[in-house]
Amino acid sequence: MAKTSIPVERPAISHTHSPPNWVNGLLRNDAAVVRSLYATHYPAVRQYVLKNSGTANDAQDVFQEAVTVLWLQVKDGRFNANAEPDPGGFLFRVAKFKWLDVVRSAAHRNMRVLHDAGAHVPEEERDHELEDRILRLREVYAKLDDKCRQVLDQFYFERKDLASIAARMGVEEESIRTIKYRCMMKLRAFRQAISGEDRKEK
Amino acid sequence: MSEAALHKDRFEAIEAFLLGTMGPKERQRFEQEMAADAALLEEVVLQRENTLAVEMAGISRTLMAVRDEHHEADNSSSDGNWTTYLKYAAMVAVLILGAAWWFARPAENERLFAEYYVEDPGLPVPMSAVNDPVFQDAMVAYKLGDYAEARTKWGNLLQAEPANDTLRFYIANAYLAEGDAKAAIPLYEAVADEPASAFHVKARWYIFLAYLHEGRLNELPDSTLTNDPVYGERVRVIRSKLHP
Repeated sequence: MAKTSIPVERPAISHTHSPPNWVNGLLRNDAAVVRSLYATHYPAVRQYVLKNSGTANDAQDVFQEAVTVLWLQVKDGRFNANAEPDPGGFLFRVAKFKWLDVVRSAAHRNMRVLHDAGAHVPEEERDHELEDRILRLREVYAKLDDKCRQVLDQFYFERKDLASIAARMGVEEESIRTIKYRCMMKLRAFRQAISGEDRKEK
Repeated sequence: MSEAALHKDRFEAIEAFLLGTMGPKERQRFEQEMAADAALLEEVVLQRENTLAVEMAGISRTLMAVRDEHHEADNSSSDGNWTTYLKYAAMVAVLILGAAWWFARPAENERLFAEYYVEDPGLPVPMSAVNDPVFQDAMVAYKLGDYAEARTKWGNLLQAEPANDTLRFYIANAYLAEGDAKAAIPLYEAVADEPASAFHVKARWYIFLAYLHEGRLNELPDSTLTNDPVYGERVRVIRSKLHP
């Protein structure tokens, strides 16, 4: 295990700059911030994809992926908001790389990329590890049943306290606490199974 | 990662560390422990990934909701003739769907069952409980919606205690929650026959609902439940809707 620094949820303290509001918003999973990112930065991505043989739906797909990558970078503390206080450039780059991936795929070989300045994406700029990690995170969540999702979503995503979740679901707080623990243990067991398979493959 | 179970206290300490809800001194202690214990560090990293998996699913839902809003905006700016055509197509579709719904609509008893049936929430399951671990385990499974697992575990206990009203009542609840009212009825009836049982009245209400579910309307128990302060009003309304 090489990783020793673990980003945790505490107020960011900086001696130079405090992080922009959108960074704090993403850390809180704030829907208003996501909406604002969409309103401000989606039109440029939409224009790029439409000019390069894509549809509005394609543009939405790649923009969503780009926001997901940005969100994860922020959560990991890997996004340098001091150097890039406006996330527009980052979102556009990621969305463009994603779209070029689609364009290069078999189904789109006949497409013509009109605005292809920088269409070639150097391999070193691609973060395959991050892409794999996103896939793995989705795979893990897909293992949860509805009841677990209901409890974990409210606790970890919406940041509701146990008492509110219990009141909303009509069960006791202690039961919610137990269910949360058991559901997280299911995810842990699933991860153990995956690591076992990975070790076998190696 | 250790194959052994992660104790709940350890799990909650890691959770508090990750969510930033630990006090400064406790955090400092935890960080020191983590620096000296590779297995703990690995566990923290794993738990963080699992928490992120849940959060990422939430962000994806938010993005889908925002996407829908933009999709509507995209559509509203599209060609007028196409929009008009779509409006007519939608009206026709609504008429067809309406007719299909009318012919395929659920029977009155099914509709009433769906309206009045609320799954029993179950008993509290304290994490610290050491008595009846199998019973508690089954209760958690029931609360999670794993009804078959709950039934199996309670069923094993019922073999040792065939007259246990709590086990009968909750096995019946699991059956009914799965939609198997036929299997639930005899178990509820056994509980309803015991006036001293804490589940006596509830069992009678669920028998009423189970019969409703099965469409056995002429056999609906015509009991004193009609005058019950909790369930009486519901029973009267259901009866009046079935026999206006």
